[in-house]
This record gives sequence, structure tokens and C-alpha cells, in this order.
Amino acid sequence: MIGLGTLITTVALYVILHFLVATYAYDRYRKGRSVVSNSFVYSLSITVYCTSWTYYGSVGRAATSGLDFITIYLGPSLTAFAWWFILRKIVRIAKDNNITSIADFLSSRYGKSQFLGALITVIAVLGIVPYIALQLKAVSTTFSLICSHPAFHIPPNLRDSFIINNSGLLFSIFISSFGIFFGARTLATTVRHEGLVAAIAFESIVKLLAFLGVGVYVTYFHFNGFGDIFSQMAAKEPRLFDHLTTLAGEGETSYIDWASTLFLAMGSVMLLPRQFQIMVIENSDESHIKEAMWRFPAYLFAINLFVIPLAFAGILLSGSNKGADFFVLTIPMNANHPWLALLAFLGGFSAAAGMVIAESVATSTMVLNHLLMPMVLKFKVTESYSRLLLFLKRISIFAIVFLGFAYYNIIGSTYSLVNIGLISFSAAAQLAPALIGALYWKRGNLIGAVAGIFFGFVIWIYTLLIPSFILSGWWESDLLEKGLFGIELLKPTELFGLTGLGLWSNALFWSMLFNVGSYLLFSIVLEQNETEREQSTKFVDPYNLDGHQDAWETKRLSKPVTIMEFVNLMENFIGETHAHAAISEYLGEHEIDEKGMVSEFELPSLKRFVEKTLAGSVGSAAAKAIVESYLSDIGSQMESFYDVFRSVRSSLEESREALYVRLKSSEIMNKTQDLKLIINELLELLMTEFKFDLIVVRLLDQQGRLAVCAAHDSSGSARPHPDIMPDEDSYIAELLASRRPQFANDTRNLKRFPHSAATPLEQYLAFAHIPIAGEREPSGILSVFSTSIVGLFTEELLNLLSSLAGQLAVAVELVDEREAREMEKAQKDAALLKNAAVVHEMEIAKQIQLSLLPESPPELPGIQTAFLSVAADHVGGDYYDFFVRDGRIVDAVIADVSGHNVGAALIMVETRSVLRAQVNVSSSPGRILASLNNLLFSDLTRAELFITMFYIKYDTLTQWLSYSSAGHNQPLLYRSSDGTCQYLDAEGLIIGVKEDVFFEEKSILLDPGDILLLYTDGLTETANEEGEMYGLERLSSLLGEIHGEPLQNMIDLIYRDMIGFAGNFNLADDVSIVAIRVERSDQDQQD
Amino acid sequence: MKTRHLKRRFLSRLSLKESWVIFFILGIIMMNYPFLHIFNKNIIIHGIPLLLIYIIGGWAVSILVIFLFTKSIRSGSDEQSGPENQ
Repeated sequence: MIGLGTLITTVALYVILHFLVATYAYDRYRKGRSVVSNSFVYSLSITVYCTSWTYYGSVGRAATSGLDFITIYLGPSLTAFAWWFILRKIVRIAKDNNITSIADFLSSRYGKSQFLGALITVIAVLGIVPYIALQLKAVSTTFSLICSHPAFHIPPNLRDSFIINNSGLLFSIFISSFGIFFGARTLATTVRHEGLVAAIAFESIVKLLAFLGVGVYVTYFHFNGFGDIFSQMAAKEPRLFDHLTTLAGEGETSYIDWASTLFLAMGSVMLLPRQFQIMVIENSDESHIKEAMWRFPAYLFAINLFVIPLAFAGILLSGSNKGADFFVLTIPMNANHPWLALLAFLGGFSAAAGMVIAESVATSTMVLNHLLMPMVLKFKVTESYSRLLLFLKRISIFAIVFLGFAYYNIIGSTYSLVNIGLISFSAAAQLAPALIGALYWKRGNLIGAVAGIFFGFVIWIYTLLIPSFILSGWWESDLLEKGLFGIELLKPTELFGLTGLGLWSNALFWSMLFNVGSYLLFSIVLEQNETEREQSTKFVDPYNLDGHQDAWETKRLSKPVTIMEFVNLMENFIGETHAHAAISEYLGEHEIDEKGMVSEFELPSLKRFVEKTLAGSVGSAAAKAIVESYLSDIGSQMESFYDVFRSVRSSLEESREALYVRLKSSEIMNKTQDLKLIINELLELLMTEFKFDLIVVRLLDQQGRLAVCAAHDSSGSARPHPDIMPDEDSYIAELLASRRPQFANDTRNLKRFPHSAATPLEQYLAFAHIPIAGEREPSGILSVFSTSIVGLFTEELLNLLSSLAGQLAVAVELVDEREAREMEKAQKDAALLKNAAVVHEMEIAKQIQLSLLPESPPELPGIQTAFLSVAADHVGGDYYDFFVRDGRIVDAVIADVSGHNVGAALIMVETRSVLRAQVNVSSSPGRILASLNNLLFSDLTRAELFITMFYIKYDTLTQWLSYSSAGHNQPLLYRSSDGTCQYLDAEGLIIGVKEDVFFEEKSILLDPGDILLLYTDGLTETANEEGEMYGLERLSSLLGEIHGEPLQNMIDLIYRDMIGFAGNFNLADDVSIVAIRVERSDQDQQD
Repeated sequence: MKTRHLKRRFLSRLSLKESWVIFFILGIIMMNYPFLHIFNKNIIIHGIPLLLIYIIGGWAVSILVIFLFTKSIRSGSDEQSGPENQ
């Protein structure tokens, strides 16, 4: 037996269980181990669609009008087909844009319009409040129903107690505090409310189990299954049975009404604020949609299986369909199963609670963002907004629940449950055209959406809301019978004379006609503004955002805003932690320059990011308003760049003008190589194309100055443009360091004021310095100025100018290279010329040197002489000579000065002169060498040269040969008597090593036929490729073979043999050979 | 072997966007006039009215079809149907 205490305790425990479930889920969520983020909970939470209206009302409707209750569930099942496309797309868009509600979704899509958001919010509130009232009514009615039923043993004196009379109020308090606790913890709506979702999923399980429990009990325990109920019904109430199991008969639901409610249900499952909240905002993973697509319809299917059996059972047991709305509760109570009835009550309680919680949180977000926020912003509270906003959001939840409570108390108690639900559905349906258009029709515009929703809404009020007031008896009026102003055509339920349609079909037809009609008409006739275009692309094509971004930023902030200023702005609304987290996420993906700023071209994107972040808390329209009002407070605004390119650009392509300028400039570059001409023509081109007022080209010269190369001034003033040093101007210094253009689009807003000769800020509103740089260091600077146009320098224009400057840099480099090449060539020519002169001189020297050697061998009876000299270089150091005395004595000398250069040649000449003088003073070879050594020593020491020398003296009469050597190679003496060769040697140092040297003098008697061969080391020390030297042995054996040849032939043969041995003609050293053969003297012949 | 092949073929056809649209529209048509009119008769089969059988049966079939559709998403068409499904 259940008394009041048990009843209240059970309900209280159930309420506490709600909080426990939600707290547990929230706790897990914070620890990162979500119990909610899975497709199972997601599917269950979507069934918040099944409210107490469907929980109790389905049976009521099945018992009164028949099968048409099923459309309410069949519709969503059909919609689920399209979820993989529509819902997934919506979820993607909502995540990308930080969408907070369906009003935010549509207002964001249609140009972030505050007005549209507010309009949708008003519709939502008007449509939702009666619906919430309906839930409160269901809970309080069922509660008093079970309290007064004899199955529950509650004494009559307690039936009037506070709890029973005010169950609706208590329920409202529970719901609003739960909503505030788990739905408005923080302001950031983009953060999912896992506690709330967990509670809703939990309630979904309870309501399904409760309903199935009652259904199974009634069908299989009270009756004997489906067949039993149906056959009993058919037997007992045949007319009612036919009425309830067929359509479109007299007084029955028509096919049109069937289609209308089917359509309303199809739309509502997506469009009701709570459905959007749960399905889109609370979705944690797109893939959950896939499972929800069949689990959600399956749930609906299951909860509807026992609706008709319950309805028929109720009719059979009570005898009529009166009070059919509460058969779920009354059947178990009448059968005296209070625990089952209590379970059924808790199922209905859950259905109502889930709906009110989700709906109030979703609607409060809309109210805050679209109704309260614009007002808050108007008051310009300078203190932190975030606390105020959170407070307002909590108040809104409370207010919405209690608006529902008030509505229920004033008019709700008089009108049937079913109708209120469909009124809400019809209100939500007004959003359908705008939503479908938002997703699939790029042209759909704000005016169209506003007009469509507005007219649809007005018709909804006139054809549904007002009639519902009148039907409830709350408002006495003959409007329904006579029409507005007594005009029959304006009868709300038969608008424009359209009779024969039910209430719902009439309202749906006319509201949709006006809604869709004006949406299409205005969208086709009127153009979208820029924000709308931008947003419509994002919404219609959410899967490839990147491909649709404009190549260039077309907007700029007229006064730059620093990152910190943006952060401070965000802090006001979302608190410090969130603001800092958001900005570091942004900066992680973007470039910051050396001053900790984003570039001017990044600013609009930063602004959009700030807007998007704020949108996550306050909705996109309010976020846009916040950022824009902030910008205008500091005197900045978004404005278009001056469109220097004039033609409309299609996304990624360059404008026609830019291409023309590129073409022209490359023509100029190719036409001539004259740098001055190129620069002048280029400046001419830029002046005419881009309306610059001054262009100056400065090139770096060798002293590091930036010298003015050309300047075009549109004012025609003869103002001089000075050469500057790079460090005189901070912009130019920075340009050379960074190699990036330095520019200002509005010099009035420059924080620093580095006025200088190169950047005369007082005369110009906008300027840009562009580095003339190819692959190397900048070679100069192109400076352009405008006196009047603010916002001239778009990223595109700067890119174009940089590319032209790059081409110019190539031209400058080419000219530099050409000049360098010409200079090098001239130097080379001069060097060649000089070298040729030297060679010529050397030739002369060689001739002179050659002329110093004996022209012909001396003619003397008794000897034959021959010689040969080949110089390795132009001038050499070999020397030989003959001196004849008294007609019978011949002196011969062979010498080799170390080295083969001019120095050696000069020493050779000196040696010759000194020797010629000495020959007449002295006659002994040893002494001649000794005095020669003394005379030449100082000169040789200074020149660091030495001389080897061999000196002979031969008397043709006595045939005595005397000789001395100064370190020279040993000459060969071929003795004809025995055919052998012997080497002549005498002690003596090389000349020039030290003074006062003694030279040994030797003598030897020669025989006729003996051959004396003098030579320099070039002959014996010539090496072949293997490094083997020609050598004395080879020479002496050759001499042995060819001693009979004529003397000149003989030395030629020796030379050839030596060349043949060496393998080439390039001598490493001079080669000189002197040969003397003793002839038989006349005396000998006579002898 | 053959049935598995057929099953794969069937699922791959289901993953086409066109199939979704066809079944969606088919569902709406089947659950409206004039289809309903065919079954809107006072005929009782095993004690249960024909129209109820039709609606409940059709509903169950439609859920089954969606279930098969979601299976076809799982069988690897997820990526292809993602970006181009608009």
C-alpha cells in the first residue's frame, strides 16, 4: 500500500537520482572519460522528442481520433533517412562556426543578423511556452490524479495539502534549478552539457521502460494479447473500432490532415530548439549520427507498439474514451496496481522533465544571445560582461520555465493537451524553408528569410494561436465564426475561403505558402550583402572551405588593433582563461612579425577568429556587434581596400589589370638593356595604372648609399629627392634587414612617426617601400606614395609591386653583370697586350743572346770544331765560346748559368765580357777561372746565381790540351788509339760560391782522331718518361759508334738520339754541345 | 560465396546518395494518400486491422532499411560520401 509519504519519498528520490546521474556524467566529462560521448546515449538523448504529450497524449489521441497519432512518430522516422546528409552537415557547420542555437544558426547563415535571431527567438518563445505549460500541466494533473485515486491510500484531509496543490510549482522549481545547474555552468555554449544530456538519456530509458511496462501488463496480463484486445473492441464497440482503425471517413482524420501532421513532425524533430540543442550542439562526434539514424526510429517504434492496445483497453475497461489522455495511469490504478501506476507516473514525469530542461536551456541561450545581448551591448557596461551574462542566462532559464508555469495557470488548464503540441510544431515549421535554403541554396538571403519567417509567423498566430485562445475559452470572441472585421474570407480556420481543411492543414498551407513564397521572392529579387555571401558559402559548402576563400584579403582595419587589445575584449566576455586559451590556439597557426603583431593582412582573419570565439558564448550576431562596436570605439573599422584593380576578381585568379601590368613590364624589360630607360618606362607604367603620386627608385651604390636613380612626381614639383643612407630611415633599415615591403595604408594612424627624407609622411597618406631584390641582397628600393588614397596597398598590389621590383632587380643585376664582364675583358686584354710586349722583348733578348754566341766554329788547321745550342726557354743561361791565339792555340769554354731566366741571360752576357777581357790577360785555364770567379763573385752573390764552367786550351802544334773545371760536367774524350772514351775532370768549385778559389789545371796529349766533347747538363740529365736520365754511358757508347761521322753530323746525331730517348721536344733545360776533333797535322802527314 | 558477393553489391548500391533520396521519397509516398487508401479498409487479419498492420509493418521495414543504409556507410563508403554528398 502506498501512502503520501511513500509517494513523495519516491518522487523526491527520483529527483535526487537525476542530480546524481548528471553530476556523475559531468564529473566523468571533466576528467576526460566521458560516459555520454557515444552513439547510444546520443540516440537516447534525441528521444527527448517524446514528451509527456506523446507519453500520455498518444493514447488519448488513439482513443479519440484513431491512427493519426502515429504521424507524430512516423515523421521523424522518415526524417532520419536524411540525417546522414542534413544533420551531419548542420553539425559540421555548427562546429565550424561555434553555433549556439537554431536561431544563431539561421542568423549566422543570413549575414549574422541580430534581427533575424531576435525574430526566431520570439517565435521560439511564443511557440515553446505553451508547450512547456503542457508539460507542467501533465505533471501536476497526473500527480493530483494519483493522489486522489483510492489505489493510493491518501486520507482526504491530506488531499488538499500544499505539495499536492502546488506540484506544478515544485516541478518548475526542480526543473529550472536543474537547468541552471547543468545547463548554465559557464557561458560558453559550445562546451557540451554532458550532465544535462546524461539526465535526459536516463529519463529516456525510464519513460520507455515505464510505458512498455504498462503496455505489457495491460496487453498480456489484463488481456490475452493484441488479438484479444482488438477482437473484444471490435465486438463491443464496432463503430468506434472502425472509426479508430481507418482514415478519412466521416468525422475522421482526412488524408490531408494526415499528411500535414506527418510534415509537421518531420520538421519538428530537427527544428524545435531542444532538438537542435541535443542533436547539433550536444553532438560530440559526427559518426554518432549514423547509429542514431536507426536507433532513434526504433525507440519511437517501441514506445508506440502498445499505444493502440492501451487505448482500446482503456475504452473497454471504462466504457468510453473519456479521460483517455490518462489511460496509461488510470488503467493500472483501477486495476489496483499502485506501484505500476507510480512507475507510469515517473515515466510521464521523465518525459516532461527532459523536455522542459532541454527546451529551457536551448531557449534561454537564444533569449540571452538574441534579445538580451543587444540590450546589454547598448548599455555599454565597461566592467566584465561574463558574470553579468551568465547571470542573465540563469535568469532566462528560470524565466522561461515560469512563463510556462504562468501560461498553464492562466489558460493551459482549459485546453486539450494534444493541440498545444501541434501548435508548437507548427511554429517550428516556419523555420523549415529558411533552414533548407540555408543548407542548399546559396542565393537565399536575409530579407527573404526574415520575410518568410515573419509572414509564416503572422499566419501562424492568426490561424492557430488566436483560435487556440478562443477555443480554450480564455478569450471570448466571435472571430472564428465571423472572421476579422466580419469578413468571411478572413476566418482564421478557413482563411481566404479555403474550406474543408482541418485546423492544422489550413494553418500549415497558408503559413507555408507565404513563408516559402516570400523567401523565394525576396531571395531572387534582392542581392545579398557581403557578410551574407561569405556566410552562405560557409554554410552551403562546409566540406571544402579552403577552396572558396578569396585569394586576397579585401578588407582592412582602418586603424590597426593589437593582439592584446583583442584578448582584453574577449576576456570581458568569456573570462581570462578561455580568452588566453583561444588566442594561443590562434597564434599557433599564424605568423607573428618581429614586433609581436600579426601583419595588416592577417588582422581581418584575427578579427574573424575573435568573432567566432565570442560567437561560441553570445551567438554570432552579437559577437559581430560586439567586435564592431569595439572597433568603432577605438576609431577603427573594417573597410574595403581601395580597389586599385577595379575589375571583379574571381577567387583565385589575378585581376585583369594586374596581368596587364605584368605583361607590360616584361615587355619593357625585354625591349632594352638600358637600365635608365627600363626604370623610366616602368615608373611611367605604374604612375598611369595605379594613380600613385610619387614613385622613387633608389639603387645602392658602392659606398652603400641609396642613390636616386629615377623619380616620377605627379605634382610636377621640382622638389629634389635626396640620396640617403639606409640607416637614416627606419622603414628602409627594416626593409633591408627583413627584405620585405614596408608600407602604411593610412599614415594618420601610425603610432611611431619616423618622418624622414625618404618617407615624407606629412605629404602622403599611404606609402610603400618595396625591396628591389632578386635572389641576392636587395640592390635598391622602389618607393611609391599616394597623397589621397587610404587603403591602397592590398596584399595583391604589394605582391604585384614586389614581383615588378623583382624583375627590376634582375635587370639591375644583368646590367651589373654586363659591366663587370666588360671590365674583366678590358683588363684581360691589357694583360695580354702587356704579355705580348714582354714576349717581344724576350725575343729581342734571345736574338741578342744568340748573336753573342759564336756564329761559326773557328777555322784552324789541325782541328775541326762544331757546336749546337738549343734553348729551353726564350733566353737561356748556356754559354760557349772560342778564342784563337797566335793562329795555333785555341781556347774553348762552355758554361752554364743556373736558371733559365733573364737574370741568367744577363749574367751570361757579363760572364762573356769579363771572360773576353781575361783571355787577353792570362793564358792559363786555371788562372782564367780563378780571376773570373773573383770578378764575378759579388755580382753572382747578389743575383743568387752560380756558374759552372769548363775551360780548355789546345795547342795545335804540340797537341797538348790543358783544361780546368769550375764544377762543370765532365767532358768526354774519345781516344782514337784504343777506341775508348775517357772523362776529363779537374778540381774546382762552382764560380760564385766563394772568393779566391784554386782551380786545378791538367794537361793531356791528344792524338789525331781524338774527339773532345763538351756539353752542358741539359744533354746528360734529360730524362725520359720513366724518370731515367740520358746519362754519360749512353753518350760515350754513342760517341764510340759514330766517331767517324763528320763532326757537325755527329753532334746532330747525338742531339737526335737524346730527343729520341726523352720522347718529346720540350726540353727541360738548355742543351749546348761543342765538339773538337784533332786532325792529323801537316807534320804528322808529313811524318 | 555468391550471397556474400550479392550482399556487398547491395550495400554498395545503398551507399549511393541517390538511393538515400529514393528511399526517403518512397517512404513519404508510401505513408501518404493514395497508398494509405489501398489499405484503408475494414479488413481484420488475425484480429488486427489491415491499416494498422500496413503502417506498423511499413514503419518497421523503413527502420530496417535505414539500418542497412548505416551498414553501407560502415562498409567503407564513409569517406567518398563525405565531401561530395552535397
